[in-house]
Amino acid sequence: MRILPRTLLRATILIALLAVLTACSAGPGDTYDPYGDNARRIYELLIPIWWMALGVFVIVEGLLIYAIWRFRRRPGSTAMPAQVHGNTQVEILWTIAPAIIVLVIAVLTFRTQAANAVMPEDALRIKAIGHQWWFEFQYPDLGAEGKPLVTASDMYIPVGRPVTVVLESQDVIHNFWVPKLAGKTYMIPGKTNFLTFTADQPGIYRAVCAEFCGEAHALMRFRVIAVDESEFARWIDQKKAPPSAPAGTLAVNGLTGDAARGQAIFLDARKQCIACHAVEGTNARGLIGPNLTYYGSRQTIAAGILPYSPENLARWLREAPKLKPGNLMSRALTPQWIKANLSDQEIADLVAYLDSMKVSVALPPER
Amino acid sequence: MSELTTRTHGAVAHHTSLGVDNRKLGVWAFIGSETLFFATLITTYFVFAPVNRARPDFQDPREFLDIELTTVLASILLASSLTMVLALSASRRGDRRSFTTWLLATVGLGLAFIGGQAYEFNHLYHEGLTLSSSLFGTTFFVLTGFHGTHVAIGVIWLLSVFFKVRAYPDSPENVMDVEIAGLYWHFVDLVWVAIFVLVYLI
Amino acid sequence: MAIAERTAGTVSIPGVNVRPGWAGWLSTTDHKRIGIMYLVSAFVFFLIGGIEALLMRIQLGVPDNTFLTPDVYNQMFTMHGTTMIFLGLMPLNVGLGNYMVPLMIGARDMAFPRLNALSIWLFIFGGLMLYVSFLVGGAPNVGWFAYAPLTQKQFAPTAGVDYWIIGIGLTGVASIAGALNFIVTILNMRAPGMTLNRMPLFVWMQLVVAFILIFAFPVLTVATIQLLFDRHFGTRFFLPNLGGDAVLWQHLFWFFGHPEVYILILPTMGIISEVLPTFSRKPIFGYAFVAYSGVAIGFLGFLVWAHHMFAVGLGPLANAFFGAASFLIAVPTGVKIFNWLATMWQGSLNLTTAMHYAIGFISMFIIGGISGITLASPPINVQQTDSYYVVAHMHYVLFGGAIQGIFAGIFYWFPKMTGRMLDERLGKWQFWLMLISFNLTFFPMHLSGNAGMPRRIYTYEAEMGWNLWNLISTIGSLLLAVAFLLFLWNVVTSIRRGPVAPADPWDGATLEWAVSSPPPVYNFAVTPHVRSRRPLWDQKYPSLHEINGGHGASGAYHGERRDGFEHDTPPAMEPIHLPSPTYAPLIVSVGIMILGFGIIYLGDFGLIAASAMLVGLLTMAFGILTWVRISHVDSPHHAH
Repeated sequence: MRILPRTLLRATILIALLAVLTACSAGPGDTYDPYGDNARRIYELLIPIWWMALGVFVIVEGLLIYAIWRFRRRPGSTAMPAQVHGNTQVEILWTIAPAIIVLVIAVLTFRTQAANAVMPEDALRIKAIGHQWWFEFQYPDLGAEGKPLVTASDMYIPVGRPVTVVLESQDVIHNFWVPKLAGKTYMIPGKTNFLTFTADQPGIYRAVCAEFCGEAHALMRFRVIAVDESEFARWIDQKKAPPSAPAGTLAVNGLTGDAARGQAIFLDARKQCIACHAVEGTNARGLIGPNLTYYGSRQTIAAGILPYSPENLARWLREAPKLKPGNLMSRALTPQWIKANLSDQEIADLVAYLDSMKVSVALPPER
Repeated sequence: MSELTTRTHGAVAHHTSLGVDNRKLGVWAFIGSETLFFATLITTYFVFAPVNRARPDFQDPREFLDIELTTVLASILLASSLTMVLALSASRRGDRRSFTTWLLATVGLGLAFIGGQAYEFNHLYHEGLTLSSSLFGTTFFVLTGFHGTHVAIGVIWLLSVFFKVRAYPDSPENVMDVEIAGLYWHFVDLVWVAIFVLVYLI
Repeated sequence: MAIAERTAGTVSIPGVNVRPGWAGWLSTTDHKRIGIMYLVSAFVFFLIGGIEALLMRIQLGVPDNTFLTPDVYNQMFTMHGTTMIFLGLMPLNVGLGNYMVPLMIGARDMAFPRLNALSIWLFIFGGLMLYVSFLVGGAPNVGWFAYAPLTQKQFAPTAGVDYWIIGIGLTGVASIAGALNFIVTILNMRAPGMTLNRMPLFVWMQLVVAFILIFAFPVLTVATIQLLFDRHFGTRFFLPNLGGDAVLWQHLFWFFGHPEVYILILPTMGIISEVLPTFSRKPIFGYAFVAYSGVAIGFLGFLVWAHHMFAVGLGPLANAFFGAASFLIAVPTGVKIFNWLATMWQGSLNLTTAMHYAIGFISMFIIGGISGITLASPPINVQQTDSYYVVAHMHYVLFGGAIQGIFAGIFYWFPKMTGRMLDERLGKWQFWLMLISFNLTFFPMHLSGNAGMPRRIYTYEAEMGWNLWNLISTIGSLLLAVAFLLFLWNVVTSIRRGPVAPADPWDGATLEWAVSSPPPVYNFAVTPHVRSRRPLWDQKYPSLHEINGGHGASGAYHGERRDGFEHDTPPAMEPIHLPSPTYAPLIVSVGIMILGFGIIYLGDFGLIAASAMLVGLLTMAFGILTWVRISHVDSPHHAH
């Protein structure tokens, strides 16, 4: 019996150590590792509450454990304890004490709430529209000829300037959550919400949809990419200019994809791409799926399910239903249709085309 | 005399802690619940009223609702509450003939209300107001439709009481059976008054 | 109808009040049998919900897992939540309440025994209907709170959502009927001398919960009816592109949904308020505070619903109001915990398994309460909501709290219900296994939630830093399953060969311990007259002095114990009337179920569905006729 407690003790220490080690290596979604003012204020509100909570926890559990140890009936004892019915004064005291704690928390709360609700007039407005199962981003007035600049999955923002995200949805309720920068806010069809935050440092911040929105909810992700003002301006300038004519080749899975051929395939109505997708400067103006302009610079494939690479892109074109079950593209481009209508070479060409559209951006570190 | 009382299960209690018959207390609690049911439907109606007004497929309640007809319906239902009271009074007196008359009158008026409601619905349908034609159609038909359903259930309840009393005329439970059916009936009437005022008049 | 005759001191029942075998269960109107039916069927559903959880945990044990497809996973979490809440915890509470409340107030049955039977059958059929959905195209897969417009036909094309609507519709009707029963029983059928201020706290909580229920459930009923109409009859309540309002669904749902969580926890708090004093051998500390804090929670519970909606964008004023109200409700909750601690303080603690669970409740509920505080703060909430932090919070209060409370109640009252004692040693081992594995399963969820893991995802990426937490949770859940199997083993073996239980195994204070284990069908041979909050205790220890108020007899300390329960004047002998068994409630329930099936398919299969509805209505009518006839036969004035 003595071995058991010792082993138990060792196991507990080991697990605790592992836990601490893992916790120390910060993950990309850690809400307690803020890089934005909104998230930081929330974190700073949590700290004192956490300590108060720890205090309450220690007191209550401590009293409980003490009571069990101290007042446990000794074997053979038949003495009856004093039949205390209550003590109104004490009860009033322990009604007031939690009330005071809660009042303090409330005051701190409302201060943080007010600060996070501030929406400066000169904030950069970006419209974020939720779709099953990807995020669309529109920069009003920043596109060519003052039209909105439309992109998807990667939301570029300038560091140090307040950004107000205007949140909408095209279908069901989604949720915009970039944990290291701000709290989450719903994207509700028929309603417009607003979320304001400022990124303090350049970085690539992971983000997810945080409201169950259907089959592929788990695979609906995006990135917020904060870059310096000058870099942001450079990005805008490049993005708003239509991509130049595609040229060149790319080795994809042993085949050589031709970018120009790829564009021709992409723009061929029979291949169905342009029914849903758009590329600036071409007659691809589909609004149902993500905008693919300068797709070669995307961080991920299919709204965050694979890191961007030509091989992964080819995988997506070929195996979309397996990679993202329920996705809308696969309803038209079924595996059978793809087998019949898109050869390996054509896929390689498409990949080469999409990959050829790149903007030059000095990417910040992943946070 | 011992303070003990035999505790009987079920409906007819010689003694109850609050001094109110079990079934009466139960029906009041049920009515409390039903109040929330209709409050939710009415709230939904009012949530959507301004939205309806702002939409391209706006259908104006004032153009569709026939105040004259529904005033008649409201009077019918109010009259039926009166006949219900008279039926209960007759039941208490043991006056079987009056009871029959007044209870069947209540049933008849209830059926007349339902008939009138059905007529109104049919008329509105032909005018182009349906469940799917606008937010007004959606909220109006669901609200009044469920009220009508409650009236229908009330009619069935009253008829059941009627036949039960006929089958067992000497049962001492009869008066309470009539009374609680009456409570439900008055409640349904009251809901109609609320709907009539809030939806039709305002 | 059976009439019990009594001769000096003995009671016999000449006629059979219960049919033998299955017929007896199908036609019962006895609250004790109905209580057991609730407990058994709720436990079966609870195990099914547990299997659904295990399947999810296996899927989430490692990142990028392919054990379950996303659609199956989504059905799993929807059904897990719906099952645990509506088919597990609620009926467990109702089952214990059904069995114990009449006994604790000195009554012979509930106010409406036949309505009681209707409730159990409707509950069973509602649960069955919900599970039929697996066989006809898929279970609902929209989450247990079914946010619009995801629940609309275009996004949820299978009949799963319709089965969800009708399934919880039926159990909702069962619940409302049950609540009416509890209200009338508790308000109207207390033994003479048992004022509201002398009722056991378990009874107080059941009363509060019954009131919450009758005011909260109709709102859900309306919302689900509106959803059904949207899906099948062309309305647009929750269709935003036609002017409908997705947020309205949330308001209606949570107006019901928040009081619902108090429906889940308050009865179990009542159990703790019974178990702790018994095993501390002193009265509950501050009866009035504990009772009225329950009432306060019940009332305030209706004012906090939008704390589930802080991220919806209702505006700072709304958020501030609901945040403040949510903070406020922490106060009466905290009061209870201190009162419970004070009950144990300077008591003589008998650490039975039931007491283990009661203490376990307090220790885990405080953690759930603390995570509730952070969630009540709107700015913090928008980081924590819709993440695994909320999953941790809800399981700490509902499992660490409510379920442990249920276990406390089961270990406490099992001897009374079955006449056998559960194995205490096995019970304690199982308690520790359950406590440890529960914490292993759910504590890491606080951490993964704060590390950005959203809810309701069937898989996650390996580089997010959530792997260890998920693995620990999964291992914990497997151990939890073992703990439940141990409990089942304890129950099954104890029922058959557990030690025979006396009437009062725990030296209890309340009326249920004054009758045999199990009680006779009529509960009390003679209705007791109550003179204090602890009627049995004062009979046993008449010379114990109660300190600081209370209603006990005065006298010296260290009183002697007297067995039994006596009256100071000889009671008058009167016949005992008990309700006859009847199939009427079962028949009516079957009719309602058939009606429900018809309603589900009315939009798509018009004529057939309408015929089914007609069959259902006719069955109901037949059942009601039978009901009216039997109630007349049972009337105590009916000449025999």
